[in-house]
Amino acid sequence: MSKSKEELLKALAEAVVEYDEDACKELSQEVLDNPNTLTPMEAVMNGLAAGMEEVGRLYDTHEYFVPEVLMCADALYAGLGILRPHIPKAEAGVNAQVVIGSIQGDVHDIGKNLVKMMFDVAGWGVHDLGRDVPLEQFVEKQLDTNSEVVAMSAMMTTTMLGMKKVIAMIKEKNPECLIMLGGAPVTKDVANLFGADGYADSAGNAVSEGIKMIGRLREFQASKK
Amino acid sequence: MAELTSKERVIKFFKKEPIDTMPVFSGMGTVVIQAVNEMGVKFAQVHTTAELLAGSALKSSEMCGLDAVVVPYDMATVAQAVGCGLTLYENSADILYPTVPNKWETLEAVDIPADFMKRARMPIVDEAFNILIKDGRFAVGAWQLGPFTLAGQIIELGLLLKGAKKNKEAVEAFLTKMTDIVIESIKHYESLGVDFLNIREMGSGTDLLSPKMWNSLIQPHLTRIFSALKTPAVLHICGGTDMIVPLMNQCGADALSFDQKNTLAKTREVVGNDVIVLGNFDPYGTMVQMENPADVETVVKKCIDDGVDAVWPGCDLWPDVKLDNIKAWVKTSKEYGKKRSPVIGRI
Repeated sequence: MSKSKEELLKALAEAVVEYDEDACKELSQEVLDNPNTLTPMEAVMNGLAAGMEEVGRLYDTHEYFVPEVLMCADALYAGLGILRPHIPKAEAGVNAQVVIGSIQGDVHDIGKNLVKMMFDVAGWGVHDLGRDVPLEQFVEKQLDTNSEVVAMSAMMTTTMLGMKKVIAMIKEKNPECLIMLGGAPVTKDVANLFGADGYADSAGNAVSEGIKMIGRLREFQASKK
Repeated sequence: MAELTSKERVIKFFKKEPIDTMPVFSGMGTVVIQAVNEMGVKFAQVHTTAELLAGSALKSSEMCGLDAVVVPYDMATVAQAVGCGLTLYENSADILYPTVPNKWETLEAVDIPADFMKRARMPIVDEAFNILIKDGRFAVGAWQLGPFTLAGQIIELGLLLKGAKKNKEAVEAFLTKMTDIVIESIKHYESLGVDFLNIREMGSGTDLLSPKMWNSLIQPHLTRIFSALKTPAVLHICGGTDMIVPLMNQCGADALSFDQKNTLAKTREVVGNDVIVLGNFDPYGTMVQMENPADVETVVKKCIDDGVDAVWPGCDLWPDVKLDNIKAWVKTSKEYGKKRSPVIGRI
């Protein structure tokens, strides 16, 4: 007997929490095979993303750490890869783009990838510049794509000052663009000083913050109905 | 009161012998841009010759009044020597530390050359130590990344973190290989005659790993490293450390160093008064951002009141410091640190 809507959503969320990639794939296929039960969009937002919210709670309470969170993210992506192509563009809800990357001098990208996941889940157009990205590339890509958000990460103190320059360059040309900063050494004071609009202070907090943003997007999605 | 030289002060400090006042130094980079500018070179150049590396270290400590010199400044020396390449950012107008552009994509693909200590910039670092030791005015500190953090320099960190759960045996074997590298390099610096060592396992704090995983994955390797060393050695971890202080203290290090995220007064309570504790001001927030040296004085006094034996920055100094702030760190440590610290008595 096929699962009810509630059962399928619960199973998807649990598969993410239990970092079970195979289950995420199977359940996502089950969603596609039973189009009358729930839509792919509902499965992403109220199944996979709901699971990731629980992962965020487990991270906040020190039950999960970054290795678990990374594996949960893999499970989420396994499901997303199957469901996303079947979400009609009009239903995706968010028609926005983000430019994301780790700044020049920084060869780490865990935090960046976790924040990127948030945008992927929410259906944003993501321009991932990778890591060790020269400052001008952020500005060029933002201008090329007219992206609403630029998200930058610097894991080390030694690279975070480059962010200040990028922010100034982008804000000068496009004051409306929102800037998110993440990375271990960036404190809220530094983010404020640099003129950034958003902040996440570590790979872990980045995902925690990112997950909270997923939660807000889910509320937004629900309120439109 | 007998006045000690900088070198004597630091050596006695690590031997837990009485000293005249609190030494002011770090086990991480303390190069300042004012020194580099005075030498008439660009920051990217100082990592490329023994003379510039040692020269900038000496000039920085002279200018700042520090008791020690530490090289190298970047984390890429070993990764470069084992074949990951090097980006120097020679054309950048900013201060950027060298990094590695290439990382291996699987644990199995990693191939460490047996003669890595002779490759790339490793001989430059050796020669820099020789110059610093010969100079003789300052205590000389060498450091190496811990096995987990070093692994993150040469393979994808995500691979390691996920592997720690999914593929524990392979990660364990890989970390053993990294530990061998750490021991080989740091024992070599010991043989050159440096005065103290610092193992920086900075990527292993509880921002990333659970205390349980730290206990099983990190601690055994660090314990093996510290048991192999004769020279006084520090264990430094930045980021979240409150939950792993007792575990860090079991690794056999002579001193523990923490960054500003650590609740230091509590840490001192936990470790007692047998182990040297170092820390824990925010290097950027204090030495670069503070406009008033009196604020630096407050920060330094708080570190001392919290129970450190010497006031260390939580990471490398950001080179573009305000020299007045550095001087406030030195002056306050020496004056407020005239009284004995929890572990080290006074002459």
